[in-house]
Amino acid sequence: MPRPVKRALPLLALCTAVLALGACGSSNNDGGAAATVDNGSGGQRGGTLTLLTSQDIQSLDPGITYGSLDLNLLSSAVRTLYAYAPDNPTDIQPDLAASAPQVSPDGKTLTVRIRSGVKFGPPVNREVTSRDVKYAIERGFNPHVANPYASTYYGDVVGADRATGGPIAGIKTPDNQTIVFELTRPTASLLAQATVLPLSAPVPPEYAKPLDAKSPSTYGNHLVSSGPYMISADRDGDVLGNGYVPGRSLRLVRNPNWSAATDDRPAYLNEVDFRIGGSPTVSGRQVLAGDGLVLGDSPTPALVKKAYQTARDQIFFSPGAGSRYAALNTAIPPFDDANLRKAVSAALDREQMRRIRGGEIVGEIASHFLYPGVLGFEEGGGQDGTGADFLENPQGDRALAERYMRAAGYADGRYTGDETLQIVGLAGAPDSNDAQIVDQTLQDLGFKTQLKLVDVSVMYGRFCGVPRARVHVCPNLGWIRDFADPQTVLNPAFNGNFIFPENNPNWPQLNDPAINRAMARGELTVGDQARADAWGAIDRQVTATGAAIPWLWDRQPNVFSADVRCVPELWNQGHCDFAYTSLK
Amino acid sequence: MSVGAPGLLAQEERYERDFSAGVARSPWQLFWRRLRSDRVAMVALGVIVVLVLVALLAPLVVKLAGAPGPNVQDRNATDMFGAPIGPTGDHWFGVDPLGRDVFARTVYGARVSLLVGIVGTGIAVLVGVTVGLVAGYYRGWVDTLLSRLVDVVLSFPVLLLGIGIASACSLGNGCVSGVITPGVRTVILVIALVTWTSIARVVRGQVLSLREREFVVAARSLGASNRRIVVREILPNLTAPLIVYSSLLLPQTILLEAALSFLGVGVSPPTASWGWMIADASDNFDTQWWYMVFPGAALLLTVLAFNLLGDGLRDALDPRAER
Amino acid sequence: MAAYVLRRVLWGLVLLVLVSLLTFVVFYVLPSADPAQLRAGRNASPATLAQIRDSLGLDRPLTAQYWTFLSQVAFHANLGYSYFSQAPVGSLLVDRLPATISLTLGAIVIWVLVAVPLGVVAATRRGTWVDKLTTGGALLGISAPVYWLGLVALYLFADDIGIWPLFPGAGSYVPFTDDPWQWFTSLILPWIVLASTFTAVYARLLRGNMIEVLSEDYVRTARAKGLSERRVVWRHGLRAAVTPLVTLAGLDIGLLLGGAVLTETVFGIPGIGRLNYEAIVHADYPVIQGTVLLAACFVIVANIAVDVAYAYLDPRVRTA
Repeated sequence: MPRPVKRALPLLALCTAVLALGACGSSNNDGGAAATVDNGSGGQRGGTLTLLTSQDIQSLDPGITYGSLDLNLLSSAVRTLYAYAPDNPTDIQPDLAASAPQVSPDGKTLTVRIRSGVKFGPPVNREVTSRDVKYAIERGFNPHVANPYASTYYGDVVGADRATGGPIAGIKTPDNQTIVFELTRPTASLLAQATVLPLSAPVPPEYAKPLDAKSPSTYGNHLVSSGPYMISADRDGDVLGNGYVPGRSLRLVRNPNWSAATDDRPAYLNEVDFRIGGSPTVSGRQVLAGDGLVLGDSPTPALVKKAYQTARDQIFFSPGAGSRYAALNTAIPPFDDANLRKAVSAALDREQMRRIRGGEIVGEIASHFLYPGVLGFEEGGGQDGTGADFLENPQGDRALAERYMRAAGYADGRYTGDETLQIVGLAGAPDSNDAQIVDQTLQDLGFKTQLKLVDVSVMYGRFCGVPRARVHVCPNLGWIRDFADPQTVLNPAFNGNFIFPENNPNWPQLNDPAINRAMARGELTVGDQARADAWGAIDRQVTATGAAIPWLWDRQPNVFSADVRCVPELWNQGHCDFAYTSLK
Repeated sequence: MSVGAPGLLAQEERYERDFSAGVARSPWQLFWRRLRSDRVAMVALGVIVVLVLVALLAPLVVKLAGAPGPNVQDRNATDMFGAPIGPTGDHWFGVDPLGRDVFARTVYGARVSLLVGIVGTGIAVLVGVTVGLVAGYYRGWVDTLLSRLVDVVLSFPVLLLGIGIASACSLGNGCVSGVITPGVRTVILVIALVTWTSIARVVRGQVLSLREREFVVAARSLGASNRRIVVREILPNLTAPLIVYSSLLLPQTILLEAALSFLGVGVSPPTASWGWMIADASDNFDTQWWYMVFPGAALLLTVLAFNLLGDGLRDALDPRAER
Repeated sequence: MAAYVLRRVLWGLVLLVLVSLLTFVVFYVLPSADPAQLRAGRNASPATLAQIRDSLGLDRPLTAQYWTFLSQVAFHANLGYSYFSQAPVGSLLVDRLPATISLTLGAIVIWVLVAVPLGVVAATRRGTWVDKLTTGGALLGISAPVYWLGLVALYLFADDIGIWPLFPGAGSYVPFTDDPWQWFTSLILPWIVLASTFTAVYARLLRGNMIEVLSEDYVRTARAKGLSERRVVWRHGLRAAVTPLVTLAGLDIGLLLGGAVLTETVFGIPGIGRLNYEAIVHADYPVIQGTVLLAACFVIVANIAVDVAYAYLDPRVRTA
């Protein structure tokens, strides 16, 4: 049967000019699932960690990859300019960079100093320079690489708008240890944050250029390491069929050229093996019972229950792992009527939607869109919600739903229109069950529905992200921030200016002039509290439209064997960070 | 893999031989008497009648059993971790993770299985007979063309072809300009598309030999039109093998529907389908066995009953019946 | 004879082209997801999408795309590259083939070893409990969905979750070259499950054929000549009864080598069937095309082999 990429909340973030702040209001009443985060220090050296995953790696190319598991893998194989420490998902730390980013007073120039002594792994074996970072970013604009976020995050760099892979004028390398970005707008501090994504990891041009000339580029299959680990490869650096067999296995070994003196990470493990293709059910059981294993997939509810009851120290619930909501298409009938949207919201049993995923331990029932750990969460209503009556009862409120139905003109509280609602959700439990709860709720309100359950890529690529597909309801949508800034959560998802004919991120197609204006102001707002206030208010505005029904703030469960001292990446849904994790 | 492909190929071979003797001339009364004396076949027939009744009267059956409807989600039937409860007095077969009654869903699942099985087989027979008749009767280039078409479809892995068409048709508003909507219709189309070839081959073989028989030659020499010969002389002689062959194809199409649903490209939820239920259960069958066992047993029982009846029909229609 | 074989092989090649065309139509003209978007990720701008379409050649006319594919296969033995991993499709197939072959061969061994004695014994002892058990069991085997049987087998016998933990469970497959013993034990359950349907079908057919053959004149003659019953049954009877089944088995094996999707899915065996299924889910068209062609190849080769064998045995076929 089809198993969707369980972790696939889309990563999407547009940024602002302000560095994100510490997590506010991350709640502690988390159903007893609180786990103190281990920073891994004093671990034991050596050993092999094995990761079991049903899903394959999407791409090994740091210029392409964007999935959660891919980020987990690459974070120990390549070094980006800045990175998050595993226990701090909000403050960027120098990684390849030698020091904090320098932003010019006008905010239009970003200067980064690079550490000396960092060497590429075989077969390149030379020291990393600023030119390797410059090339890495430039190739992101090469159509053969086609990085998905290059133009979003690096679009303000002078000359980036016309870039197709060649040199970009606004990226300068005055010496081997310095890289300077010149920008058209004052967004330099934002760019500094964006460098946590793998596009800023160095790529040796002399090695990669012939590979990038192919269409599509095959650099991913010849990935050159700059971190503590590398993908095992033959003498020419070809990983395919050596360290990586698509759909089967991947092998990370120590990078012989890595020096602990240039890195803050302990890198205890000798080796990390990926075993790809097993079912999450089987793998999950093996992980709980076995040695030296971690699960790359989201564990099934049954496994979460088992681990929680019998092996509490083998499961970690990563807070702030995103939020889930159901979008109602506001552009076409019937949900262009706000009262009908609110009726659905009021009727929906969000507690049951959470329960089929494993219950209280896997997250909090959402009542608005800024989730715990994101700046502005408290200002948007915090745990108590915005006060919208239709989101007040997590178990659903039929009487209230019927009141809204009557307000929409349906006298007996049931919908009587004759169109059939198209609902597109994710295949594979528990997502498919969440979709069916929404489907059933709509039917109970009198709507005729047709439910389609598809792979995650099909859901976004063919349906929910394509307005002309005229999907009425998308119940399985999710968001993960790249940054803790509230704008990254709300702006693309609900700004009327972000309605695109394809790859549309504004799934409900909400186009409310007042909200658009508030967002335009919010973008330019400076200062943490001011931003929290501004975006918290926008959160309340968006919630009040009923365009989307927030139903879960995820605490992502991660399971590992008893002898694994997992150091979870709080910035990345709690995957065990290979450069910190050790075996007991 | 071959859902039933081994069975189909083998049976096809066998019936081609069995019916070359021309069974249809044996009187129908004789057939019925033989069938009635076959206890196993009669039991199978009884089971099938009950299954059909259960499918037709599903709402009544569920109500009599005191179970909620197949799509009623009982939020109190799962524990705080979302684990569903097993068989109890209220829920004879337990519930699924959504708190839906597995008994009710198993009963309603019979509707999909039988509908798809019967209609899918019917269309496959219709297409197969037409193609087989035309190819076998007219021979020449028509035969060559049609037989080659059959070859192409047969060299395609059946299930893969099915998955491909099913997933293509399940998008948007279906295919063949909206006639084939996603869900049951798509599954029926897929099943007909991948099974008609076996019927066509059998019929073609039969027709090839029938058209040389004395009564056909006689009719032709008397100046009967082609259409008359086909309809009046050849078709009646195909009835017996077609009855047997479709009765053996039917369980195969039921299995194929379940396999497609199992792979997630068949009937879409919330419609209850046995294949889908088994697939949905496969994640947790170690702790929630009831969710996998009951729909699977229902599927097994249905297919078995049709196979037994098919055997009985063959024996009753075959003068050399080996009992 | 040579001309006949040549004709069959040529037609086989034509069939392959037709199958590839059908695959192209079904999976590509009606793809289930946009490959460019799969490749680009969720955040790509329309411009990026256009770039990817261009670099994958997706914006060229369909006929041109098909022709490129065909000529690459025909003249360069190049099946293209996966949209996902950029791995050559050929190497993916080579990587997955051993698992499928292992699964198929083991299942064949079981099905032959079980079906032949069962069929013969049931035929020679008609009406006894052995016969009834065999025919009944065979019907059950034919009627049970293989994936359900697999799940039940895991529930009962898998060493991680089974009630009687006897054999390695799902996902335990390793290549023979890694660890022959684990390879063997991990395949025991899949072999049995996959073989069950085939064993059932063939035992039934063999029983029927045997009964017929044993009533033929020459068998009676052999008996009359005073040959022992055992010799009559196992030498004369079996040979005649098995011959028509061998050709059928050939076709079934061809079909199985193309990938046993359901069995591979249930037991987590990384074979061709799994590869194809995953590719369909991801709309990884080049991989779909590769796996379908490989499967069709096996079917066609099996067909040719069977027909040629027949022609060798029965000269009349050659001119037909």
